[in-house]
Amino acid sequence: MSARRHLLIAVAAWGVLSAASMALVAGISAMPEIASHEAAIEDRTFTVLTVVSMPVLWLVVVGMAYSAWRFRAREGDGDGPPLHGHRTLQAGWLIVTFIMVIGLFVYGTIGLVEIRGAQTADFEVQVHAKQWAWEFHYANGTESNELHIPINRRVHLTFQSDDVIHSMWLPALGVKQDVVPGRTTEAYTTPTVAGTYGGRCAELCGFGHTDMIMTFVVEDEAAVNAWLSTLPPQEHAQ
Amino acid sequence: MTVALRRSGIGSPGLTRAVAGAALGGAIGAGGLLAASSLGIRAEPGQLLGLGYLFALFGFLLGIGAFRFWLTWATARPINAEEEHAWHGTAGDWRRYFRFTTDHKVIGVQYLVTAFALFVTAGSAAMLMRFELAQPGLAFDKEVYNTTMSTHGAMMITVALVSIIGGLGNYLVPIMVGARDMAFPKANALSYWMLPLAVLLVAINPLLGGFDSGWTAYPPLSQQANLGQQAYIMAFVTVGFSSILSSINFLTTVFRMRAPGMSLMRMPILVWALTVTATLGLIATSVVAGAFTMLLFDRVLGTSFFRATRGGDVILFQHLFWFYSHPAVYIMAVPGLGAILEIVPVFARKPLFAYPLAVLAFVMIGVLSFMVWAHHMFVSGMATFFHIPIMLTTELISVPTGVVFLTALGTIWMGRIHFKTPMLWVFGFLWAFLIGGITGVYLADVPTDIVLSDTFFVVAHFHYTIIGATIYGLFAGTYYWFPKITGRMYDERLGKIHFWWFTIAFNLTFLPMFWLGIEGMRRRVADYPTELGPVNLFVSLMAFNIALSVAVFLYNMVRSWQHGPRAEANPWNAQTLEWQTSSPPPIENFEHIPVVTGTPYRYGSPPISASPSPVPAPAPGHPQP
Amino acid sequence: MSAEALARHDAGGVVGDPEAEKGNMLFGVKLGIASEVMLFGALFAAYFVIRADSGSWPPEGFGGERPEILLPGLNTLLLVSSSVTMQLGVWAVQRSGGRHLLRWLGATIVLGLAFLSIQAYEYANNGFGLRDGTFGSIFYTLTGFHGFHVLVGLAFIAIVANRARVGLVSPAHHTAVEAASYYWHFVDVVWLFLFSTLYVL
Ligand code: HEA
Ligand code: HEA
Ligand code: CUA
Ligand SMILES: [Cu+2]
Repeated sequence: MSARRHLLIAVAAWGVLSAASMALVAGISAMPEIASHEAAIEDRTFTVLTVVSMPVLWLVVVGMAYSAWRFRAREGDGDGPPLHGHRTLQAGWLIVTFIMVIGLFVYGTIGLVEIRGAQTADFEVQVHAKQWAWEFHYANGTESNELHIPINRRVHLTFQSDDVIHSMWLPALGVKQDVVPGRTTEAYTTPTVAGTYGGRCAELCGFGHTDMIMTFVVEDEAAVNAWLSTLPPQEHAQ
Repeated sequence: MTVALRRSGIGSPGLTRAVAGAALGGAIGAGGLLAASSLGIRAEPGQLLGLGYLFALFGFLLGIGAFRFWLTWATARPINAEEEHAWHGTAGDWRRYFRFTTDHKVIGVQYLVTAFALFVTAGSAAMLMRFELAQPGLAFDKEVYNTTMSTHGAMMITVALVSIIGGLGNYLVPIMVGARDMAFPKANALSYWMLPLAVLLVAINPLLGGFDSGWTAYPPLSQQANLGQQAYIMAFVTVGFSSILSSINFLTTVFRMRAPGMSLMRMPILVWALTVTATLGLIATSVVAGAFTMLLFDRVLGTSFFRATRGGDVILFQHLFWFYSHPAVYIMAVPGLGAILEIVPVFARKPLFAYPLAVLAFVMIGVLSFMVWAHHMFVSGMATFFHIPIMLTTELISVPTGVVFLTALGTIWMGRIHFKTPMLWVFGFLWAFLIGGITGVYLADVPTDIVLSDTFFVVAHFHYTIIGATIYGLFAGTYYWFPKITGRMYDERLGKIHFWWFTIAFNLTFLPMFWLGIEGMRRRVADYPTELGPVNLFVSLMAFNIALSVAVFLYNMVRSWQHGPRAEANPWNAQTLEWQTSSPPPIENFEHIPVVTGTPYRYGSPPISASPSPVPAPAPGHPQP
Repeated sequence: MSAEALARHDAGGVVGDPEAEKGNMLFGVKLGIASEVMLFGALFAAYFVIRADSGSWPPEGFGGERPEILLPGLNTLLLVSSSVTMQLGVWAVQRSGGRHLLRWLGATIVLGLAFLSIQAYEYANNGFGLRDGTFGSIFYTLTGFHGFHVLVGLAFIAIVANRARVGLVSPAHHTAVEAASYYWHFVDVVWLFLFSTLYVL
């Protein structure tokens, strides 16, 4: 079989497999829970990455599989053709991978700016993390071990820790932010679906790290305020 | 008197003396401090451990004979050239593997065997972890889990850092460039002998209370933790020193000791890969040594570099750590990539495709790897604008890394592929490293990294990259060069069983971890939500299969080394220099140093890569320096 | 190839060729210095980051005084001149057959010891210690690492001087002198950075 025939068959197989799998994964949403504007962006980025990965994946897999199938040495075979390189192919490979990477970078940057961009907030919570519990301080001066935040409002979380590094992970909201001793870190999120969700500490913080889990509630603003008013006022302001 | 002592065996440098030296040194170090503390200076346990270890290390090295030459030199006594020459060891004498032997081939085997021993130890720790994680709930203590996990990570990282460059690299590089040994054979042996005590220190950390910070050792957690933590820090710095020393050795050998005609662009691709690796090791390692030293000072001397409460900066450690540890992942991967690309042309019977581009790619990987470190810190709270350039450089590394795939695929395309065991591992590598690399891009993208950071997705990513590049490369290389190193053939059938069993079990272990991570399973936890139970059980069962397949490998190696059929000088009909000398090579590698006249990848054309020098030269003597 | 060239070629660059060995050694020393540069680079990075973190320097709440510039200034002079004497030593052995080598090495050692004594005096009179916050940490770690390097350098030079004394150094055979000089110049340069950041800036 001629070199060109081999190439044609392999490229055709690659094209079909890539197109089919891209169509297949384009509809998949990977994250189990999506309850905020940010989580939606993150999930969308995940899908885009998966779609873009498919042709890369199949290129290598088809190349391997086809070679293993058709280019296996037979009894009495000598060496293969003395082919040291192929300028056009090399240049093409570099250019295409470069363009793909730049495309992914641009897309990722847009997502990043959307997530971290607007530094305005309707609702403030100060989070204190310690080995191994969370404490939430609300704008009205109350304090609680529970997190309640309003739906469809931009929530600003600020984080502080006195002992070691923790990380507040609210999977449904697409928030993950380390809590670092000696500095204040922050995150913004806009919840879009009401409900009760799980949160956890994502940075190894000692033997109790496993158990540093919590639940939080997204509800409408009136409900949050009602709940806040049941809290006793904080004794000593921090 | 000295002669009598020497006859008795105690008086001559060796393992016995080294162990005695270590014990004595430890006693002097720790005891001296204790004595001082009875005079009123308060000595903390950390300081005792620190000083004890330092002295023990020196005692060990003195005992093994590492400083014989330099002590003679420094005291301006005459150097006995005959004795010095004897440090090469005698061919065929097994005892040279347990001595301060300067022959690079012995050192290579020492590294290789040590690395596999460590791999089995750390792998056994992984089995413990998978036992704990097989079901939700706790099988044993959380503290035990954290220590096991940290020890597994620390040891495996050491395996990945030293196995290929230290083992295969030491054995092969001098032969591949046509030299008789490394540039500094005594420093080379010293690099190796710094390791045993350091490794032992990590292994016994559970006796010192364990350490629970993971291999990354982030403060302030690592400042709170037990003495076991300090053991890790000190061992890490020791391994770092050893790796700097051996990097110097590699670079000097490659740049100054090539045989005539061996121009840079005629070097085997593995040598190029190791050159890039050694450069990374040389430049990056001292940064982490600095960071770990500061961490150690914070712990034992009361400084406050990383103590937030006293003005220190916690994030600073992460920057310094990753400034080394990202290049370090390429220190782990690039030797594997080199080994793979070395093997592909031999079994595809075609020249290495786009060799110059592959060289350029390795160099670019090296350069870029210094500009991406902060991608491990996307959720650490560093300034948002800094995320953007880091995201760009990180994703850009895919381009030179992708060239490795182009080279491999271009070589096998239209080739005459022989599926011997090493070639199977090459194919396994292509798959595994591809998955690892692509999922790396998910982590490099900040929006997805926010979701995936610190989950099992990351765990799956780095097992696919490290096992995919380093361990697959190590297995491929060990099979491929086994006949050269031992002079015997391994068992092909067992090799294939090992490959298929390992590959299937490995993929079934780590592929589901991506899913676990997306579903929200955090890394470094002993317990997890119940609904993830069944998948974790499956993962654990598959992980046990990895261990069984490795047992097949070990059996094959040990048995074939003793009883395998004798290997010819060049069983694979390969063209690099190491195959042009006997299996195993003589003590100084070549009878006559070859003159190189072409690239080592001339498959399909008449081989002219290496010809022995035309005129017989005088037998290699050892004139005094 | 001539028989001689062939013989050298067959030595494979390892044994028997002093020229090649010397080149290897000096190349290796340069690489080692490159790695040391990165070590100090890490310490300096820590210094700048911590300094940028704290509003004032020395940071607020730091008990002691920032050390005076006088003694370290004197030390700078000492170290720079020791670099000069070291280089004169190298030239002595390279150009004039090693006649004054010992004298220059001796001068270098004396200057280095003077440097260390002044540093020890400074340590004793600083009025703050290693445990006094980030300033103390960074000050003593940087100067301590450097001081240790000076000590190692002095030991190296002393060994070389001793070898020269018993006649083991010659114009044809002085790799160690040159290696020591590389190291010593490096230590000197690090001090210049240290002096300008820790004391002056
Ligand atoms: C051998 C080791 C190795 C290698 C080679 C890599 C390679 C890569 N790694 Fe990985 N990584 C680790 C080991 C390794 N990594 C480890 C140990 C950790 C965890 C540390 C810890 O916290 O404990 C980690 C963590 C880690 C993180 C941090 C995750 C987190 O904690 O939040 C990130 C983020 O960017 C990342 C990215 C990448 C990228 C982009 C590559 C790239 O180099 C991959 C490039 C390769 C390809 C992309 C495939 C081939 C390319 C083509 C076929 C061309 C076309 C491709 C495209 C256009 C996409 N890695
Ligand atoms: C070279 C690198 C390397 C390698 C090869 C491996 C190999 C394996 N790793 Fe490891 N791993 C790391 C590097 C590596 N790992 C690192 C750096 C971490 C991060 C630590 C941290 O977070 O700080 C980690 C973390 C890590 C975790 C996550 C822990 C957590 O976050 O909670 C898990 C979980 O499953 C895991 C599993 C495994 C398994 C099952 C293997 C298997 O492939 C191992 C198979 C090998 C063997 C089992 C040896 C063979 C033994 C024999 C033949 C003897 C017979 C013995 C028995 C049957 C017990 N590893
Ligand atoms: Cu807090 Cu993990
Ligand atoms: Cu990285």
